[in-house]
Amino acid sequence: MPRQGQSVESCILTEWKVQPGDTVAEGDVLAVIETDKASFDLESTASGTVLELFWEADDDVPVLANVIAIGAEGENIDDLRPATESASATALPATSSTPESSAVQSTVAADQSPASAPVDLSTTSHVPSSGVSPRARKKAMNLGVDAETLVGTGPGGRVIERDVDAFLAGTPRLSAAARVRAKEQGLEAPVRGSGIAGMALASDMRQPGAIEGAEVEPVKGIRKLIAERMMQSLNGTAQLTLHSSFDVTNCQKYRKKRLADGESKVSINDLIAQAILAALQNHPEMNAHFLGDRLAVFHEVNLGIAVDSPRGLMVPVVQEASKMSLEMLSSEIKKKAIACREGTIQPDDLSGGTFTLTNLGMLGVENFTPVLNVPEIAILGVGGISLKPKKNEEGEVSFVDQISLSLTIDHQAIDGAPAARFIQTLVNHLENHPGENPQKIEGEE
Amino acid sequence: MKYDFAVIGAGPAGYVAAKKAASAGLKVVMVEKKKLGGVCLNEGCVPSKTLLQAAKTYHHAKHGSIFGVEAGSLSFDFGKAHAHKNSVMDRMRDGIAGLMKKHKVEVIEGEATLSKGSSFTVNGETHEADNILLCTGSSPTIPPIPGIEADHIVDSTGILNIDTLPKNLVIVGGGVIGCEFACVYASVGVPVTVLEAMPEICPNLDSEIAAILRKELEKKGVTFQLGAKVESFEGKSVRFTLDGESKNMDADLVLVATGRRPNVSGLGLEEIGLDFDPRGGVKVDNRGATNLPGLWAAGDVTGQAWLAHAASRMAEVVVHNINGQKDQMRHDTMPAVVYTSPEVAVVGLTKEEAIDRGFKVKTGKIPMAINARYIAENPGEEGMCKVVLDADTNRLIGVHMVGGACSEMIFGATAMLETELREEEIAEIVFPHPTTSEIMKDVFMAVR
Repeated sequence: MPRQGQSVESCILTEWKVQPGDTVAEGDVLAVIETDKASFDLESTASGTVLELFWEADDDVPVLANVIAIGAEGENIDDLRPATESASATALPATSSTPESSAVQSTVAADQSPASAPVDLSTTSHVPSSGVSPRARKKAMNLGVDAETLVGTGPGGRVIERDVDAFLAGTPRLSAAARVRAKEQGLEAPVRGSGIAGMALASDMRQPGAIEGAEVEPVKGIRKLIAERMMQSLNGTAQLTLHSSFDVTNCQKYRKKRLADGESKVSINDLIAQAILAALQNHPEMNAHFLGDRLAVFHEVNLGIAVDSPRGLMVPVVQEASKMSLEMLSSEIKKKAIACREGTIQPDDLSGGTFTLTNLGMLGVENFTPVLNVPEIAILGVGGISLKPKKNEEGEVSFVDQISLSLTIDHQAIDGAPAARFIQTLVNHLENHPGENPQKIEGEE
Repeated sequence: MKYDFAVIGAGPAGYVAAKKAASAGLKVVMVEKKKLGGVCLNEGCVPSKTLLQAAKTYHHAKHGSIFGVEAGSLSFDFGKAHAHKNSVMDRMRDGIAGLMKKHKVEVIEGEATLSKGSSFTVNGETHEADNILLCTGSSPTIPPIPGIEADHIVDSTGILNIDTLPKNLVIVGGGVIGCEFACVYASVGVPVTVLEAMPEICPNLDSEIAAILRKELEKKGVTFQLGAKVESFEGKSVRFTLDGESKNMDADLVLVATGRRPNVSGLGLEEIGLDFDPRGGVKVDNRGATNLPGLWAAGDVTGQAWLAHAASRMAEVVVHNINGQKDQMRHDTMPAVVYTSPEVAVVGLTKEEAIDRGFKVKTGKIPMAINARYIAENPGEEGMCKVVLDADTNRLIGVHMVGGACSEMIFGATAMLETELREEEIAEIVFPHPTTSEIMKDVFMAVR
């Protein structure tokens, strides 16, 4: 393939004029080749019999690559074959292949970039606005396609014939009314419409990106935020979840006693929140942010509470929860949850958490692995009440109500054993001291 | 025996499906309990159109004087017309039998009963098929009116076997079937009264089109009693209420044409757990699939359309889907015709239907009498062409015609609807001159 100018890296071999077995003389036209600027005849530089064509019509041939072998019958031509010969050469008469197969083959050829090619074509293809080959332009004009708008797969992103073919093959037939919708409302046709022989009708037109059998909506707002935060969490941390459970008997007793004493009603969740605060007093290393090169351990606990709101998952924060009485904590959690559900929560109340509590127990979930609310290093998940056997000191087995706890930690910041000790403290508090102020718990270590 | 495809019912759904499936290489069996051709060939389209042509010929001969044709002493031999009708039917049935033989479709005469697991029994023998198409058609409904079992009271099947003209004819029901028979009998001079319970005949048609048809039939001698409710038949007397008043009239022959119902009984359909729609038809999706795997239905048995050409298309869709080719019904572009004189031909939505569907609508209408060919051939006859367009896209969504032989040009409108042509594109279509079809071009001048 002769070089057609300093900037030309490859040429499209648009048409073979000879076939294997033909006899040619020096100066005979072998093929028609084109660059993005012009079309040329490829003339033979030798006389003899055509032994093999190394490329198919419409192939993108790097300059200086061998295109044809001419010699005497039976001559060994193995050394002449370009490196990608297996992908695109043919000893058969060169016929115009289908758009699909030529596109595939040419892509392979480009990606494998023959050794003799001066540049790696795979890095230069798919770059838009590098012109349209004359052949592609002619075909596009004949078929009423605007070639300038097509994605080119030729060298430097040039639009070549196969791009026009591929465009037409993938274009659904639109009814007149469907075309109006496409133009005026920017709607897209499915590959096969519901009209005659699969014609796309006006009613088939849908928003770009639509999926058959599904309502498709853009991901935006809080959903987008949640998606980003979740991926950030799972991609950026080393999450490990520890499972445990506690006997709810004393919590229930405590709640009944409060009611009997005329005190305000508190939920199990409130008691768990309070127990977290108590446990964190003994294990302050769990109340922290992991910031990559720094670890910030906080003095006060700003407790995040996961809330299922109509807009999606929200995590309001009870600021300085560690300073609060049970009653105050309970009322703050309730207030924040209501604000989330009603959409009146303030942005400041949605940030600054140091530890998060998430509870799916009321939805019948027994156990789950919570996802860290980064940069926090721990989150406690609470499951539902279930009956579990328990052995007392005399060895008698009875069934008690238990609630499962799942603590996810960032193993980058904290190890499994200290996290397990945190759970022990937590369970001890819930089973033996429910409702008691954190200050009263003795350190365990 | 084991077949690839079994067709239950040999009407316009059945034989089309059988032929198509057999052409595609399937081993096909078709079961029919009566005659090949179904309602269409034996009790509907074909015999009624033959008699309508007889009536039309008589009518033209009688009213030829405007063209300078005077037909001296004119007589009508209804028996001969029936003989022609019968010969047409015989010929068509032979044609179907030949077609089935040519395509190696096995035809079994007998009643099929379906059982679970893609099998069915005919004449005591059980057969299996990978796919079964149920297309057993429909029968006339007989309303529970006291005295309706009398001999001179017939349905649309019965009247086709009476080859003498009655002294007068009373038709209960002013729908398509009622109007067609009213046209036959009135055209040959039999006094006809149509008792219709609704305020206008053919309630599914555009009301202006229906009113024009009614006036044209009145010109032929049909009396319409709209809002009439038949109470009882006593001897030759028909008792009905009209505007709260009880009325009486004598009828030599009564045709009950109050509608049709799907043929779903005696086939074992409930036993195999087949789903029905609220109107009693077999429930199908837009491919013709029922709720049972391998069981399909097409035509009147589904209670949709009640048209032979709709049945054939439904059958074709079923066979395509069985063969893995995507295809679906588009009932909104199904043309419908009333074969009276003048004919009514419609396709698509009426203005009211379009508004109900949420379209912003534009309409246009012109009288057929602006068309040269029409007034030359149909002197004194009123006709109309009406189009409904979606104002958002300018797409044609409904065409409604009454006048002359407009059934012959409704396919053009159907093609326009199927391809969703807009006013702009239709304006570039050339219509030959002078033809009545030019009305389809000119009507757009009246679109507002």
